[in-house]
Amino acid sequence: MLETLLPILIFSALGLAVIGAWRRIRLWRQGRPSPVPILKGLAAMPRRYLVDLHHVVGRDKVMSNTHVATAGGFVLAAVLMILVHGLGLAQGVLGWALLVASAIMFVGSLFVARRRRNPPARLSKGPWMRLPKSLMAFSLSVFLITLPTVGVLPADFGSWILAVALAAVVTWGLGEMFFGMTWGGPMKHAFAGALHLAFHRRAERFGGGRSTGLKALNLDDPKVSLGVETPSDFTWNQLLGFDACVQCGRCEAVCPAFAAGQPLNPKKLIQDMVVGMTGGSDANYAGSPYPDKPVGEHHGDPHGPIVAREGKALVDAETLWSCTTCRACVEECPMMIEHVDAIVDMRRFLTLEHGNTPNKGAEVLDNLIATDNPGGFEPGSRMHWAADLNLPVMRDVKQADVLLWLGDGAFDMRNQRTLRALIKVLRGAGVDFAVLGNEERDSGDVARRLGDEATFQSLAKRNIATLSQYRFQRIVTCDPHSFHVLKNEYGELGGNYEVFHHSTYIAELYEAGRLHFAPWKGGKVTYHDPCYLGRYNGEYEAPRNVLRALGIEVAEMARSGFRSRCCGGGGGAPITDIPGKQRIPDMRMNDVKETGAELVAVGCPQCTAMLEGVVDATAEIRDIAELVADALVPESEARAQPTGEARIAIKEVAS
Amino acid sequence: MQPEAQAPDAQARGALEVAVLVSIGRHPLTGRARRADQDARGVELAMSLDKSRITLVHAGVLDEESEGALRGYLGMGFQALTLVEQPPGADVIPALASALSEAKPQLVITGERAEQGEGSGLLPYLLAERLGWPMVSGLANVEKVENGVATLLQALPRGQRRRLQVRLPAIVTVDGAASAARQSAYGPARRGEMRLAEAPAVFDEASNDWTVQAARKRPKRLKIVKAASARDRFKAAAAKAEGGGGQVLSDVTPEQGAEAIYKLLKEEAVLR
Amino acid sequence: MTEILRRDPRKEWIARNRLHPEHERVLFELGQGTAVATEWMGPNGVIRKNPHGLGFIGPNGIKRIDRSGVQQAPTAGRGAGHSTTTADDRRHVEIEAPAFLVAVVPDMPGGRLSSHDRDLLGLARQLADADSERQGAVLAVVFGSHKEDGFGEAGVDRLLHLDEEVFDGYTPETRLAALSAIERELAPYYWLLPDSKLGGADLGRRLAARIQERPATGVWQIEMDDTCELGWRCTARGAAGTTDIQRALPRVALALSECAEPVSETRHAAQPMALSQALPSQLGRIEDLGQVAVDPAGVALAEAEFILSAGNGVKDWDGFHHAAKVLGATEGASRVAVDDGFMPRHRQVGATGTWVTARVYLAVGISGAIQHLQGIQSCEKVIAVNLDPGCDMIKRADLAVIGDSAKVLAALVDLVAQQREEKRDAA
Repeated sequence: MLETLLPILIFSALGLAVIGAWRRIRLWRQGRPSPVPILKGLAAMPRRYLVDLHHVVGRDKVMSNTHVATAGGFVLAAVLMILVHGLGLAQGVLGWALLVASAIMFVGSLFVARRRRNPPARLSKGPWMRLPKSLMAFSLSVFLITLPTVGVLPADFGSWILAVALAAVVTWGLGEMFFGMTWGGPMKHAFAGALHLAFHRRAERFGGGRSTGLKALNLDDPKVSLGVETPSDFTWNQLLGFDACVQCGRCEAVCPAFAAGQPLNPKKLIQDMVVGMTGGSDANYAGSPYPDKPVGEHHGDPHGPIVAREGKALVDAETLWSCTTCRACVEECPMMIEHVDAIVDMRRFLTLEHGNTPNKGAEVLDNLIATDNPGGFEPGSRMHWAADLNLPVMRDVKQADVLLWLGDGAFDMRNQRTLRALIKVLRGAGVDFAVLGNEERDSGDVARRLGDEATFQSLAKRNIATLSQYRFQRIVTCDPHSFHVLKNEYGELGGNYEVFHHSTYIAELYEAGRLHFAPWKGGKVTYHDPCYLGRYNGEYEAPRNVLRALGIEVAEMARSGFRSRCCGGGGGAPITDIPGKQRIPDMRMNDVKETGAELVAVGCPQCTAMLEGVVDATAEIRDIAELVADALVPESEARAQPTGEARIAIKEVAS
Repeated sequence: MQPEAQAPDAQARGALEVAVLVSIGRHPLTGRARRADQDARGVELAMSLDKSRITLVHAGVLDEESEGALRGYLGMGFQALTLVEQPPGADVIPALASALSEAKPQLVITGERAEQGEGSGLLPYLLAERLGWPMVSGLANVEKVENGVATLLQALPRGQRRRLQVRLPAIVTVDGAASAARQSAYGPARRGEMRLAEAPAVFDEASNDWTVQAARKRPKRLKIVKAASARDRFKAAAAKAEGGGGQVLSDVTPEQGAEAIYKLLKEEAVLR
Repeated sequence: MTEILRRDPRKEWIARNRLHPEHERVLFELGQGTAVATEWMGPNGVIRKNPHGLGFIGPNGIKRIDRSGVQQAPTAGRGAGHSTTTADDRRHVEIEAPAFLVAVVPDMPGGRLSSHDRDLLGLARQLADADSERQGAVLAVVFGSHKEDGFGEAGVDRLLHLDEEVFDGYTPETRLAALSAIERELAPYYWLLPDSKLGGADLGRRLAARIQERPATGVWQIEMDDTCELGWRCTARGAAGTTDIQRALPRVALALSECAEPVSETRHAAQPMALSQALPSQLGRIEDLGQVAVDPAGVALAEAEFILSAGNGVKDWDGFHHAAKVLGATEGASRVAVDDGFMPRHRQVGATGTWVTARVYLAVGISGAIQHLQGIQSCEKVIAVNLDPGCDMIKRADLAVIGDSAKVLAALVDLVAQQREEKRDAA
């Protein structure tokens, strides 16, 4: 009986899967067009999956192996099952291979089941709870029905009751694995995920590359919509990306806004986008909700607004404004979904069309438009802090090796200390540098993260025009936000520069033997990775090398490097200021406290400001430039007491 | 006084016709053209009115700079703005008066004074005089409009308010205490339409004789001491400014501290 | 201090007795020093002077001689019977037949001349007294009842007091009608009004529009200039205070405060005057419904006059809110208090919150972060209550009380309540 039933079951499941796939593709195609190389993408997909994706998944060894066993076993078993049971090619090794594959898959599914016994809060429940059972049903039933095929058991083994029961289990397994894959079950992630990898909007991310700059809006064409109003305003491959989400909740676990109790959960946001794409309510969502926002009150459809001007739609505006754009979710996402892009796309619509940037947002944007700096200071007073430093200004010198980009920290009394320190270091190393002085404007970072693409482009274009007048080798800045924008986002508007963060540049100067440090005498030090330096630009080592050169042994925080927790100062979050249960910088200073460090080295004016704003902090906050400037000894003295030890140390890590 | 120019019969038709006169502002630090702060507050006030139909009117030059500023008003959520084109140096009052007497709004809202040019704040008064409408200055809010009578809240210093009633049509100006203007969004600003209107230009001849320069810092008034002896005058001139650290009461009982605070509050007359 | 002069016969006796061991000390105490011995009739009938006896020992141990007479004043006072009232040496000026009138319409907030009004009267005097051949008179037009009795000292020659009920409250149209009547009957040569919000600024512009004179607004300086029609040139602020416009002084001018020195050296007649015709009755289109009771707690921070602001040091929040209510203060907060959820965000004071301009800022338990101090830099009087005597807020404060904020606030509330009670009992 099974011999006749199985092919029917398999091919009807496959047929349904194909219909489902077609429907799913239609859902994605509601999005705006986005040109991607289809064939090249498909060809690159296996490598992207096996290498890049598993690089992320592999951060959790057990889950990685579980997934390899389950997914590998399933793919193999599915293909062989079609051959063996569907087409009746049971000869020889194929049947045995199918047995092995389903056995592997069964072992994997046992691990999945174990994980689901006491699942961590970040995992979604609901249909995902039945997945291990479905996996087991599929693998076990395939194993059993293959046993007679290879002749281990007689073909007419067991009674018809057993056969019916087995057929029922096979149907369940096939239903979940084939039908569910394209009709919206948990296995959807495999189908959408594979295609998402093939047609990813940032193909540069694969093969060890890095792509973090936001993509520009074409403002010259009045037909291009300004950001995303409805789910169908996303590009089709963004929608595809949302559909690939496995709801593993790794993003939720690292999201600083979620931890602070602000109404944002990256996983829920992506699921809401899927709800919007298919139409309906979020009532079926089975993971952690946005803090303090019950599930089931929001609903959307592909052509309805995501954020309502009044009342509720798919997502509340404050959810979008809670994001610090720290990119921790993107870094952590095993499906390589681009949460930050989506959030900024939606913010763009809120700012450019609704004119609804919350709290101080509107004021900051007005200031940027009127005075080219977010604080609304007189642009002519940008260099007042350096009145006594006699800095060479580009307008006078026309060319220099290094163009020192000061950033808006030039108006901030705290950051002026950092800038002074940095200038002392540059002078100590005899660097030929110059500043733009009053010709410098805000880089446009805040405007862009607040969704005001128009102001960003206006600032960027004027900055590029200014920069094009002068000759310099490289730009050095102590502001990672300016650094990121200059390096990664000006290119699209025609400004390509070699940009260095000051920590990288100081490390380079030290290695070249142009800086000499007195040995460190202070206490325990930890280092806080700025998001825009670390995750956005992959610079984790240079600041640590500089600290090492100073003779400091960094006591790392539990979350450091690519997992560093945001200070809460990015993405205009301090400006939009969405209330939560606690403050993000307070949590970060708790991280610092846990290391027992007396001093936190930072490399970002935003981080400095946010962390220094913490009341009753246990550690002092110093910029790397300040630490370096304090330890600086003139070359003549340095020769008298060689600090060879430190120099060797840095060589080791550099190699 | 003069008879009213027109009977307030328009409210019978339902929507309240509101015209907001908007000007090109000038940022106090950079001098860049922008929405004028008070005019934008006026637009916000108009938008807060129930069932109002708002027309934005500007009289002046249309060039790149002014267009950017005017689009700032459109970005608050308007489809169009009426622009009465006037050459540079023109006296815009006749043009605006004719535009308003044609449009016959019930309520005309504008800022107290322009951020550039003479900025005398006379325009609403001259328009009111010309049209024979009542004029109320320094509003914080319009509470309601009923039966051709508007109930207004005038801003007094220190957050105080005065309630006034005025018969429409009327011209009102907006104080800095009125709610701040909403954000100007790029999209509507870009799409908004400039409806050009023609009006004969009358040149402002008088201002040709003026010399205008950037504002000088006004000298600080010196305390003039009428003293008999040179010594006293010298002492007064050389006296250090008061202040330089206040009084610090430590080791006092809470009651003593409260007493000292109470005395200061009394002196400053903030206790009622 | 009591005015009664007390004599101490014993000390006087010692002062006379040069051989008394306490002679020098007592002399010094009486403020005579050695002055007694500086000048005497010599045996030959010649006046002898002792130059060493002059002066006194200064704080640095150096002998100082003060010839202004101040140091000697106690001595003189002792003899002459103590305090002298300074004679009013101001010149009395009366202008019988003025060549022209300079009309001034002071604001009279609270029924008295404000300093702005006095400055304006000083400006009016400059215009009136410029030509001694053709002297003008300053006419003050005062609406409603007033409590001022110093019009003469402020430089008013003629006082036109329109004390009728119709001028009470916000009545710009009635007042304008009165000014138009004055214009018709007296035709002042100049009209000067203070360019002050809701006062002269409003009325002056109405007047100018009515009598069709183009006024100068925001005037802060005038100079004689014969090339101008009226003989004066003025400097006025334009473009929201960002430009200075130099122009001929027109008939109507709205002047800023400190446009001129107030009158101090002369006294004027302030002769009452009346209009010959009764004012026409006026149909007001603007009706004043009176001042609205504003809850101080609801006043926007930027506008508030008296702010009670709480910071990290406040633990007793009920007590704080109660205190704000009793004191009638607007509530403010530091960033930390807002972050901790004790106060709403729109109550945050500081560079990252609201910049405030309160007359009195009472900071309770606020240590004074730089951003916070920036936000209160235009407050006139800052009072701080804090436990930490070294914090920055104490350095900024005009009055600082070191102590437990809850207790100090409670004591202050009791004090205010008690004073109110007494006042009510007395009334």
